[in-house]
Amino acid sequence: MSEHLPEIHYLRPELLQQLGDLELIARELVEGLRVGSHRSPLKGFSTEFAHHRQYVPGDAIRNIDWRVYGRTGRYYTKLYEAETNFDCHLLIDASASMNYASGKVSKLEYAKFLAASLAYIVLKQRDSVGLSVFDTEVRAYLPPRSTMGILVHIDRLLRETKSLPKTTIAKQLNDIAMMMKRRSFVIVISDFLADVDDVIKGLGRLRHGGHNVLLMQTLDPYEIEFPFEGIWRFDGLEQEDPLITQPERIRTDYLKNFAEHREALRAGCIADHIDYTLVDTSRPLDAVLSQFFFERESTIGGGAAPERL
Amino acid sequence: MSFLNPLLLIGALGIALPILAHLLNRHQVRHTDWAAMQFLNRSVRVRSRQIKLRDLLLLLMRCMALLLLVFALARPAWEKSSWFPGERRAGVVIAIDSSFSMGCGGEDGTRFDEAMKRVEIIRSKMAPGDPVTVVMLGGDQQVVLRNMAYDAKRFGEAVANLSPGPGSMDLVNEPKRLAELVADMEAPQKEVYLITDAQAADWKQPSARLREALAELNTQAGVFVVPVRSGDDNLAVTDLELVAGALRKGTTARYRATVRNFGSAPASNIAVQCRVDGVEIDRKVIPVIAPGDSETVSLFVPFHNAGATGITAEITGDPLDADNVRRTVAVVRDRVSVLCVDGSSGDAGRLVVAALMARAGGIQGEDYSARAVPWLSFPAEDLSQVDVLVFTDVPEITEGQAKQLEQFVRRGNGLVWFGGDQVKASAWNERAASAETPLLPAVIREAMTTGDALGAGKPLDADLSDHPVCLPLMSLPEDLLGEARFMRLLEVEPLPNSYPVLRLAGSGAPVLLEKALGRGQVFQFTTTAETTWNNMALTPVFPLVLQQIVTYLSGREFERPRVVGDSLTLTYAEQPDASDAVFETPSGENITVPVREVGGQFVALLENAHEAGYYTARVSVQAAGLPIAVNVDPRESQVASLDETELRTNIEALGLQVAASGDELATAIESTRTGRSAWRTFMIAALVLLLLECLLADRMLSRGRAKVDEPSSNPVPGNA
Repeated sequence: MSEHLPEIHYLRPELLQQLGDLELIARELVEGLRVGSHRSPLKGFSTEFAHHRQYVPGDAIRNIDWRVYGRTGRYYTKLYEAETNFDCHLLIDASASMNYASGKVSKLEYAKFLAASLAYIVLKQRDSVGLSVFDTEVRAYLPPRSTMGILVHIDRLLRETKSLPKTTIAKQLNDIAMMMKRRSFVIVISDFLADVDDVIKGLGRLRHGGHNVLLMQTLDPYEIEFPFEGIWRFDGLEQEDPLITQPERIRTDYLKNFAEHREALRAGCIADHIDYTLVDTSRPLDAVLSQFFFERESTIGGGAAPERL
Repeated sequence: MSFLNPLLLIGALGIALPILAHLLNRHQVRHTDWAAMQFLNRSVRVRSRQIKLRDLLLLLMRCMALLLLVFALARPAWEKSSWFPGERRAGVVIAIDSSFSMGCGGEDGTRFDEAMKRVEIIRSKMAPGDPVTVVMLGGDQQVVLRNMAYDAKRFGEAVANLSPGPGSMDLVNEPKRLAELVADMEAPQKEVYLITDAQAADWKQPSARLREALAELNTQAGVFVVPVRSGDDNLAVTDLELVAGALRKGTTARYRATVRNFGSAPASNIAVQCRVDGVEIDRKVIPVIAPGDSETVSLFVPFHNAGATGITAEITGDPLDADNVRRTVAVVRDRVSVLCVDGSSGDAGRLVVAALMARAGGIQGEDYSARAVPWLSFPAEDLSQVDVLVFTDVPEITEGQAKQLEQFVRRGNGLVWFGGDQVKASAWNERAASAETPLLPAVIREAMTTGDALGAGKPLDADLSDHPVCLPLMSLPEDLLGEARFMRLLEVEPLPNSYPVLRLAGSGAPVLLEKALGRGQVFQFTTTAETTWNNMALTPVFPLVLQQIVTYLSGREFERPRVVGDSLTLTYAEQPDASDAVFETPSGENITVPVREVGGQFVALLENAHEAGYYTARVSVQAAGLPIAVNVDPRESQVASLDETELRTNIEALGLQVAASGDELATAIESTRTGRSAWRTFMIAALVLLLLECLLADRMLSRGRAKVDEPSSNPVPGNA
């Protein structure tokens, strides 16, 4: 499939090769228009038998199972379970904090690669994918499509995306939720370095709309480990006051605060039945995605969600 | 302040390193954008001025620590008292007079024992680690310890078995050698202790050279002269020499022993024992010797056997034993044969034979023969049976004969040559005086007249040399010596290595010259043996000289005693088979010496005989030994010490200090040792400063750098 794609910046051939066998499986049933690889919550009009239920007036006569009637003398209606596709919405946080990079690649840049890769995977399994970019407001919204051509649009949109200081995340998530007309699989890629309550509030709006939500908290390794030594001046990306300090002296407090924030976010996600994944930008993307899909398949089968990718 | 290792001060340039590091890390406040600002504890802030101040403080501490370290390694020292803390340290050179006069003493101990007590006092004032040198001054300088870091145990072991030697102290040259030892030493203050018996002979009127050397030494170190004293009484046998007689088996030779009283009181009834190979054969008693006087006794030594014989003259009952004995060696021959080759009409040969036989009663025996043959018969003679050849007025010799004569002499025999009218000077010069190793001591020129207008010749110079040949002439009355008159002489040009034995009065023209060749000697008279040019043959001078020459020539080189410190030589007639000779010392030690060719002769040389007694020289380990007598230097027997007042006057005029007693020595050390070493203080200060700097730097977290664990820079695999 990849050989037919136009040149896409955020999808390199070697990466596509790595992503070829990955498949995104929705945790819950999604509503689809076409036959896909996901179960549809809409029963009764498909080809695959699901179960019986007692006939009630108004049911279609053609769905009555006459064989059961012959054996039991009662009317039962056959219900079918249809295979369907799903809409996947990729939400990228383009706020200024995503611009941090201890190495060459910033969190935003990594998020763009991640989004493009996920889009490709979704399209490859004949599902639809759309993209939204938000910071202080929703900068762009690309409705889901199942054609490969949308990758070009996604790539262009990602290229044009620049970081800006953000305000709150809840409002943006709410706006995006308003734009989505169908229950979808929503993947939010952000560092979530904002007020946890605000984040959970925004995510709750998505869940309220029936969307299946996955959080991919994208963090730089320096943010996770805080390995600075000596004298450092920290200039806030969100226009906070700079701070000259000795990181060794504040490392313990930092790691404690940071862990508490992540734990609060994670707890909020669990409470709202939202999947949570931590992405470390120091790891190669293919390895991150491979592990993510492996863990996801495991957790759908009943396993635990991965702590960090 | 001075530095013992000033070159290490170059290390102070290392101060540039911390400064450079400081300059390079001046902007060490690193900047980064940061997203998770809300998690940073803003209560911990660092101000820029605080950082600068801290860096400057650390820089100063580093620079100061480095400087202190360099200073410590350069070993700073103060020669004078200073307010700066430091340890009193000094480098000490202890020079002990170990000449044999230091063995002088009584029941309370010798001067050397007293010297060791002074060493103990000096030792008690030393601190562990102080550089110390101990040197024995006597004969060759023996360095016992050289620049050793003082350790009481090692020092005690090193000086425990010291004793005076048989040598004498070369006082004039010792200060220069001590100065070299002082220069080798690194210490804030240097001290030289010269422990000596301060013999009057050396210290009463120090030579200008000695004064200069001591003054020079005093500029490099504080010099303390530490005199040790005992009684001045000393008797010594200062000489033992052969006076008359031939060293021939069956004869008796007369030796003369000289005993001198170096003390200040008369000595009486001094028994002089004469021993031959350890057996007493004669004893004489000297009734009395006045202070400062010498008395001689004749000792008659009969030679019953041929071979080398050790002869000693010894006295007893003297506070200093080392100089109570004198040794010599006589190599006794079985027989002595003299052949006179006469080129004259016959008178010369007859006169020579007559002169040689005069003391032997004119009887020619088996053990002594003297005969004359015409010079034309010389080729037919067997020289292996001849000990001394006398050539009288022989016109010339062939080249082959010249070589034959050279070999004859080199083997250890003697040649006596007389001039005359028949002598063809050019022929002799060509074959015997101009060769690579000339046979004769001088080149012959024209005959010259030495007589006056009245026809009377000139006598011999009465101022005789100290050559052994002259010994019998010294006992002649002057008028008898003056009877020998010389009207004509051959004018000669002495060659190098020749020695004039007899000279003519007035002009000083040589009458008799001597030259060593191999193991033998050649005597050359510039006059005739007959009476045509002189009347010597008619006077007592002729037989005395001729007989003494034969005695001298029939002797061996080892008969001449040596003094401690002299070199011992073993001369070969021809190139030896063995490349090494062996010298056995009186204490039984074997010293192997290589044989070297020097001036056409093969010689084994043992430098510096450091023991008194009989050495034995062997051409190889298995060969028979030839004894060599080595005696102490009689000049050292003048044991009288200089009066303390006079010593102080002489010494203190040079700026040196005198510590006459043990208490005075201890006080002098205490009062003059002001040098302080401060390297330990600097080292401790440097280490403390470095430790403080480390703690401070660690506390301020100024040394670290951010970890360089860069995260993966590219999320896309294979796209580095």
